Amino acid sequence: MENQFEDIKPKGSLDVTIKLRPGSSAAEIKLLPGQEFTAEAGAMIAMSPSIQMQTTTYKKNSGGIMKGLKRMLSGESFFLNHYSAGYEEGTVWLGATQAGDMMVKELNGEGLIVQGGSYVASSPNIEINTNWQGFKSLISKESLFWLNLKGRGTVVFNSFGAIYPIQINGEYIVDTGHIVAFEESLNFTLTKAGKSWLSSILGGEGLVCKFSGTGTVWIQSHNTSTFGYILGPRLKPRK
Amino acid sequence: METQDIKGFKFSMDCKPDYGIVTVEIPSGKKLKVEAAAMATMDTNIEMKSKLKGGFSRFLSGESLFINEFTAKNGNGSIQIAPACPGDVEHIYLDNQMIYLQNTAFLASDDNIYVETKFQGFTKGFFSGESFFLIQCSGTGDLWFNSFGGIIEIEVDKGYVIDTGHIVAFTDGLEYEISRIGGYKSLFFSGEGLVCKFSGKGKVWIQTRKITPFLNWINPFRPTKNN
Repeated sequence: MENQFEDIKPKGSLDVTIKLRPGSSAAEIKLLPGQEFTAEAGAMIAMSPSIQMQTTTYKKNSGGIMKGLKRMLSGESFFLNHYSAGYEEGTVWLGATQAGDMMVKELNGEGLIVQGGSYVASSPNIEINTNWQGFKSLISKESLFWLNLKGRGTVVFNSFGAIYPIQINGEYIVDTGHIVAFEESLNFTLTKAGKSWLSSILGGEGLVCKFSGTGTVWIQSHNTSTFGYILGPRLKPRK
Repeated sequence: METQDIKGFKFSMDCKPDYGIVTVEIPSGKKLKVEAAAMATMDTNIEMKSKLKGGFSRFLSGESLFINEFTAKNGNGSIQIAPACPGDVEHIYLDNQMIYLQNTAFLASDDNIYVETKFQGFTKGFFSGESFFLIQCSGTGDLWFNSFGGIIEIEVDKGYVIDTGHIVAFTDGLEYEISRIGGYKSLFFSGEGLVCKFSGKGKVWIQTRKITPFLNWINPFRPTKNN
């Protein structure tokens, strides 16, 4: 979708090619000597032998191991791997858990809110804030956590199913489980989908996000929780 | 996608890379090896025979590499072969060569291809929940294999590091060892665990999805047991 940015490549951006779109997508990131990037833990499929990898809990050189453990226990395991090319150039392949697409977005100082499970990778100049509390005030059915990304460089994210942008100018309602990312310039409130709480819950929509203002929301065609709730009851109970 | 390999069977691979399926035309009197349960459709003149080749190690591999043999009788016959996982299919013509497949990757082959389950040894075995067994295919003829997710072919020249769960196949002659990447913190928290370091010259086929993270994701959705 937005991976044709060869002509306008700002400093600090990554050379990313998304292969096997849309269902089996994988990101091929080519690093020049000395170049580096950050990726979601567990996303690496394969890489050149000269690439070095380092794991941190949040951002390079900050955030302790206990903080990361705490996050893991609270169900928000968020560890990041930092890949760097030494004197040689190299390639890193990144994948996702679910069947679906990936997209590349260039940030020019603006902020982006990304669903935790959709984050794949970013340039080292992109700040990753894991303490974004925007949706925390209300309990959502989907146990999602959100990342606030800001800075100059490339961001890669993935979706469950297809991914498509929606330009918002005014107001728009999106099911929280379908949000991949949205621009920070948008205002939002969590609200019920129907007229009453009862119809919202019985209707299976639960909480939705009402956006307002001007900006883009990236939507995934499928909702991982809904898929999970279909498969789960058919499996053997956990002990 | 229509592919015609004059050296082997006439075949086509469709709906790649998400839902790959293989259609093979078996010439009259010729035999095709197919992974058990992978046959989707076939002509009525094709005869199936179950083979229990491979012996005890097959049971140990924890996977049913049961191979059925399909023979075209009184004329050519066409068969469609669909893998168990949504994913890709790939083809290679072995010319007196050898290739190793991950233990669920075998789909079908020419009858002349010798298919064998090989124990890798506990030190070399693929850790991190993968099998200690590989499928060794050798000889001359067609071979089809499948994956979970799409397949990407990587030429190994100066070595390559691959997550053990993403390996689909690799050519004979490549050396490999299991090791960790990063520091000790990475071993537990990187989510990468152990990787396979390939060296030498050859080809490795990798898959873009991996079964274990998918299982880990589904686990919280399982019902809890009420005693």
